[in-house]
Amino acid sequence: MTRNFALFPLMVVIILVSLPLMTMYGFLILDTFTDAPPGELWPDEFTLRHWRFLWDMSAAGNVWMATLNTAVLALSMVAVVVPVSSLAGYAISRLNLPYRRFFLAGILVMHAFPAVTLLIGVFFVLKFTGLYNTMIGVILVKGALMLPFGIWIMKGFYDAVPWEIEMAGVQDGASRLTVFWRLIVPQVKPGLVALSVFAFLDGWGEYLLPRVLAPGSEMTVMSVLLNQLIAGDDIGFDFNLFKTVGVFYTLPVIALFVIFQNRLMTIFGGGTKG
Amino acid sequence: MSSFADPTLEGARSSRPSRARRAPVSRLGLILMAPAMLLLTLFFFLPVALTGVFAFTDLSTSTGIGRGDYVVTPNLLRELGDRGMSSADLEAVSRASVTVDAETIERARAAGVDGRFLDDIEGDFLGRSFDAPSDFERDLRRLRTAPRRARDLKSAAALFETSVLNQRFTTSDGLSAKLETLAPEVTPAARAQIVDASYTGARFTTENFERLATQKETARLVANTFLYVGATLSLFNVGLGLFLAVVLFYTPKGMSSLFSTLWLLPRITPVVLYAVMWKWFTWEGGFLPILAEQVGLPSFNYMKGSVVTAWATMITLNGFIGASFGLILFSGALRAIPVQQLWASEVDGASRWQQVRRIILPQMRWPILFVTAYQTLSLLSSYEQIWLTTNGGPGRTTTVWALEAFKTALSNYTGNLEYGMGAAMALVLVVVGLVLSLIYLRLFKFNELVGRPKIEI
Amino acid sequence: MRLHLDNFTKCFDGTPVIEGLNLTVEDGEMLALLGPSGCGKSTTLLSICGIYRADGGRILFGDRDVSALPSQRRNVGVVFQNYALYPHLTVEENIAFPLTVQKKRTDKAEVARQVREIAELIHIEALLSRRPAQLSGGQQQRVALARALVRKPDVLLLDEPLANLDAKLRLEMRSEIRRLQLETGITAILVTHDQVEAMSMCDRVAIMDKGEILQIDSPTEMYRAPANRFVAGFLGNPPITFLDGQTAQEGRFAMAEGLTLPLPAHLRNMPAGRPIALGLRPEHFGHGGAGQASGRVTFVEPQGREMLFDVQAAPGVTLRSIQPTRDDVAIGDEVTWSIDADRMLAFDADGRRL
Ligand SMILES: Nc1ncnc2c1ncn2[C@@H]1O[C@H](COP(=O)(O)OP(=O)(O)OP(=O)(O)O)[C@@H](O)[C@H]1O
Ligand SMILES: [Mg+2]
Repeated sequence: MTRNFALFPLMVVIILVSLPLMTMYGFLILDTFTDAPPGELWPDEFTLRHWRFLWDMSAAGNVWMATLNTAVLALSMVAVVVPVSSLAGYAISRLNLPYRRFFLAGILVMHAFPAVTLLIGVFFVLKFTGLYNTMIGVILVKGALMLPFGIWIMKGFYDAVPWEIEMAGVQDGASRLTVFWRLIVPQVKPGLVALSVFAFLDGWGEYLLPRVLAPGSEMTVMSVLLNQLIAGDDIGFDFNLFKTVGVFYTLPVIALFVIFQNRLMTIFGGGTKG
Repeated sequence: MSSFADPTLEGARSSRPSRARRAPVSRLGLILMAPAMLLLTLFFFLPVALTGVFAFTDLSTSTGIGRGDYVVTPNLLRELGDRGMSSADLEAVSRASVTVDAETIERARAAGVDGRFLDDIEGDFLGRSFDAPSDFERDLRRLRTAPRRARDLKSAAALFETSVLNQRFTTSDGLSAKLETLAPEVTPAARAQIVDASYTGARFTTENFERLATQKETARLVANTFLYVGATLSLFNVGLGLFLAVVLFYTPKGMSSLFSTLWLLPRITPVVLYAVMWKWFTWEGGFLPILAEQVGLPSFNYMKGSVVTAWATMITLNGFIGASFGLILFSGALRAIPVQQLWASEVDGASRWQQVRRIILPQMRWPILFVTAYQTLSLLSSYEQIWLTTNGGPGRTTTVWALEAFKTALSNYTGNLEYGMGAAMALVLVVVGLVLSLIYLRLFKFNELVGRPKIEI
Repeated sequence: MRLHLDNFTKCFDGTPVIEGLNLTVEDGEMLALLGPSGCGKSTTLLSICGIYRADGGRILFGDRDVSALPSQRRNVGVVFQNYALYPHLTVEENIAFPLTVQKKRTDKAEVARQVREIAELIHIEALLSRRPAQLSGGQQQRVALARALVRKPDVLLLDEPLANLDAKLRLEMRSEIRRLQLETGITAILVTHDQVEAMSMCDRVAIMDKGEILQIDSPTEMYRAPANRFVAGFLGNPPITFLDGQTAQEGRFAMAEGLTLPLPAHLRNMPAGRPIALGLRPEHFGHGGAGQASGRVTFVEPQGREMLFDVQAAPGVTLRSIQPTRDDVAIGDEVTWSIDADRMLAFDADGRRL
């Protein structure tokens, strides 16, 4: 930016404002391998004790199984959301659909629409279809609730592909399906990657749906496991253990975020969360 | 060769636009839309419809989801008595009597009563009923095949006792007929009232909305929701977001990307871990209370210990997530401002504050409106973070509408989930959400987003 | 193959953009569609290739009515303004695409042979393994041409193919495209709003305005005898100067501003008092002739070989002359130059040439 203004006051201001976050995340990391005496802030002891849950299943339950389940949920999200959104996004962006404006408005409204308010209705749909208390139900619901967002994002990516590419393809004798598959999909790969990562992250962090729609499911996911850990106040309350499990749970998220940060930024800008 | 107008064609031509062909429907488009439509119908439209329908029922755990039965319980009779039904009628209904018919004989046979004894009973008493069990026992004792032991006889006789109490009928006619035989003196009107009241399934009612409209709790929920949405939105999603965007706009690239990443963390952190971090931050034995104690300030569980701190915690922890949305959007808008404008103002001797005030903020009007619009909706309906942290407490002081709807219908500890009431509350949100999003569509020039397909084949 | 548009009509949202247009392109001919922006050139082109559906009339390739056929079955090659190369495919794959998407299974060797053949014709053999992003504008243009021609289309359509090129490349590609068209003998339509392009590359030029074709003729004939004022004004650089006035006595023409000139020979006996407009091309001012005009030079634009002069012949009336470079005239000089009155163009009040 321009150089005419002093930088120092800005640094002070931004650091002050960010202090709570810096503290929380700083101590989050710090506390996973240290211990502090009761009533003190600063740790005085290095320990790997908090990581014992990795091999000691009595510490926090079967985290490996839960991690696997979480991965299954997250990958299933990708498998549902990405193909379905990219097909529908293409149709909405490029093809002559009846009531296309209506579709578009609907997608946009649904995209902005607070989907969690539908949970009660969803609960009954699952009860009626027998999908209540199954992971498949959770995946389908989560996927469906994310679709308007996915379709809208993909539509944006398709819109950015020049029409001439499509026209040239048709002119070269390819059917619309061939054009879509061989010419257009390769152009929106960045979108597919971004949406995949986003869907994965969304599935990975999900807590509400598995908890409410599949409370008795065999497949415990990490979010539910972590929360059960906190809710069950039987033995001594060990924040450092919770945090360590949480950090373990969040590592893949951070990794994906670091790798795909720039691509995700565009998507977060269109997100509906929080 | 030139195409000067040929007068004879004029009429034919002007009629042409009216029969302008529409581009043909793309079958491929419909096929590609199909999976999305299926999922959206099942888990988006259908839930909306169900929410709408169930909002007008008293569906709950006790009514069950399927069809209900007709059961007269002592509780029900007491209730009916409170509502003014005559005690004689109630007495008659709750009276037990002894009947010998195919049904009771069958019941006795199933219970293991001696077959010959039953044959005798059938032979002598079929179709009769007795007002008092003792009369029946006396008659039974006279039968040759009657069991010797008094206890056996008594328990066999008891099998012929019938009462409508606690008996399940699948149809209203079944119960009605039974009542007629057992308590013939009850008037048909009173009988109908009993049958109607004995239905255990869900029924249509507008009671949910009447309750919402009249109970004092509603006003508090609405006020809480307004406070929550308004404060979070203005202080954090817009206020802090804009502040961060402007400050980071003026800082060197490395630093600004570092801090934008830091502020994105709350958004990508799984919500459960985020809640854990806030608990650690605010609970007794956690960071803030220890810090407060060391500097001599009141130290307690800030998340749940007092109304004011609970609100502050709740708004801040949601606001920290929302700030990044504003940050991203506003940063994009800031980058779009031509840098020459800023240089020009600097040459003119503007201070940084003047630059922000005069040049930057006026150009942020649309982004601010957009963030406000968008985040109002998501804040209105978000309850996951609140549920995991303050959980609406202390008491119900931080309970917002969406959380209350969710708890009423899907998650409370009393065990009776009031689906109908929850759906009614959710329906209010659905309607508000729909109206708001339609307004936003207008506001953000939906028409300009919709280009027509350029290939017409 | 002969291409014929018969009473072709195209509407957008019920508003006709092109109404009852008739156009014939003879077999092996290259025709330019020339007109200002928004006049419907691209619309016509995209309708011929089937991207747009015609709302009325017929489109004939030879004797075959293709109006109802989808693009894929019209066998038309198109070169788009931005080339529309497929960015993820190599040049070779780009050119081979039309051959490989056809239903019938073409064997690889045959495809490779055809690609090489067309690449040689267009001089891009060396680029076959590159991707479009690694090519210059002119090279991309050539690849687009190759892709359009590899299928041996019945008709070649070019939508402003040179608009994205710099001046030098444009010259080069101009002759290159014409060479290819002549060598392959393909029927072609070139859409452009550059008159030099149209006149230098094509056998005939069709001038369009507001969805109508105003005139179709060979370039020289059109320049010499434009059908109306629009065409006259559109062709020629520097453009023609229009003088609005009336016929006067003795076969003269007079303007309200005071300038008078002799009428062109074939109009000398027009009755006086008729409103007409005369069109004077810069090359007919200062190069001999029956009329003359004098005034002050207000502007001089050297163009190297030639010079352009603006002469104010009366208040508000500026005549333009183009002459071989000379250094004896400067701004502010009073000059009296001849006007070749017989070669001036005359238009009636409706803009039709007299
Ligand atoms: N898809 C469309 N929907 C509505 N109107 C259109 C559409 N495409 C073109 N038009 C209108 O049709 C007219 C002709 O457009 P066209 O693209 O054919 O012009 P053009 O001669 O190719 O111009 P240019 O030289 O700028 O490319 C214009 O007025 C344009 O606004
Ligand atoms: Mg065009």
